[in-house]
Amino acid sequence: MKPSARARAKSGWLAQAYAYGREGAPPLVYAGIDLRDRPDHPDRRFDLSVLAGTTVVAIGDEDSGVGDLGSYALGLRQPIAGRVEVFGAPVGALPYYDLLMFRRRIGYHPVGDGLLQNLPLRDNVALPLRFASDHRLAEVDGRVGELMESFRLRAVAGLRPAQANEEDRRRAAIARAVALDPDLVVLEAPFDGLTGRAAQDLLDKASRRDDGSRRAVFVTAQDLVPSVRRLVDRVIKLVDGAAVEETP
Amino acid sequence: MRTAVAAGRLTRAGRWVTVRVLINQIRFTALQAIGLVTFLAAILSFLVISQTVRQLGRVGATDLIGTVIVVAVIRELGPLLTALIVVSRSGTAIAAEMATNRVLGEVTALEAMGIDPYIYLVLPRMLGAIASVAALMIVFDAVALASGYFGAALSGMAFQRYTGIVLTTLSAKDVWLTLAKGLVFGGAVALFPSYHGLAVKAGPTEIPQAVTRGVVATIVAIFVSSAVFVVVAAG
Repeated sequence: MKPSARARAKSGWLAQAYAYGREGAPPLVYAGIDLRDRPDHPDRRFDLSVLAGTTVVAIGDEDSGVGDLGSYALGLRQPIAGRVEVFGAPVGALPYYDLLMFRRRIGYHPVGDGLLQNLPLRDNVALPLRFASDHRLAEVDGRVGELMESFRLRAVAGLRPAQANEEDRRRAAIARAVALDPDLVVLEAPFDGLTGRAAQDLLDKASRRDDGSRRAVFVTAQDLVPSVRRLVDRVIKLVDGAAVEETP
Repeated sequence: MRTAVAAGRLTRAGRWVTVRVLINQIRFTALQAIGLVTFLAAILSFLVISQTVRQLGRVGATDLIGTVIVVAVIRELGPLLTALIVVSRSGTAIAAEMATNRVLGEVTALEAMGIDPYIYLVLPRMLGAIASVAALMIVFDAVALASGYFGAALSGMAFQRYTGIVLTTLSAKDVWLTLAKGLVFGGAVALFPSYHGLAVKAGPTEIPQAVTRGVVATIVAIFVSSAVFVVVAAG
């Protein structure tokens, strides 16, 4: 696969992440995914396309399989049937190191927050910039400073995750997910335990790229508060392993 | 092997952070262990040499003291004891830390960010352990030689005679053996605890088991490789 125009515009390590996939392909496609790993499953499959610049939320009960969608998108786990494509690249088929490189195109917020407990929030946000990009130290510091300001984390930047409150931890985790300004962000249960206002603010920040345009955001959750629904383009409910469209 | 591959994939800023973590690791593994290593080296060498000089003096073979201190203390017991001290302090810490990283989902989070956990977690600890074990072995040897003199002096051996015997017995082979053991033992101290720590799957109750497995595997590896060194050095 040849590097896309976007890859050529970037340099070094991050450019390699853009070497996979097809130009113009939808950011995220689930095709024929089997979410019901049971002998009596009703043979219903999950299909969904997340288009560029849109925010799509998949909701479902705990046993609906909604919690697996994020890890399938990152290639952390493989569905028992069906395929997942990210920017046209079959994530399940990429070798380990290629997959690691490719994931730098995707921002990810795992369930909980996935912050490293031995690092302050500031260093957590800096992690992908330090280890998954070719930025110089000064550039990393500048970018982290911007993110801390934008996500209103400056006052708590030196706290470790266990010392910070839930909202600040979530802010730091989402700031980390967008640190490399990815084209796609996958957020797993990002608003659990947050007020509607904080959730709105975080979704807005997660969906805006550095140049002000909108990026593709895919959210998985068990439920969605009405105030957040207003910011969403599509809401999909998982019923018996298949996607049912809901009104946002 | 995977850690060596990972080292080639470090980014510019990543290199700087890795060096910072490496320095922290050396501070914990080497600097904070110097006191214990010095104490044990002094006691061990004093006991071995004072007893040996007394016994050898009865048969008029005190010249063999050089062989005893070089072969028994410097070449074999020193590296073994140093490695065991580092395993008990840092090997346990590495295994517990890695297992906790795994249980808390931090390893998955790193992989999801496109960061190789071997670069971020294992590489600095391995380099730090190798440098620390090699440095501590040199400290151990220096203290053992000095302390050995006090043991020999108790039986009336003069300083010049002691140093003459020891220097005659010491060879370049002892230097490279010490460095090679530092490399191998240090690698084992980081590798086995890291492997068993990262292999944890079920939950927090597995952490102490991972620590035990990591430490036991490291001790076995150190003793086996020590035997291999004897065979290689004899060949």
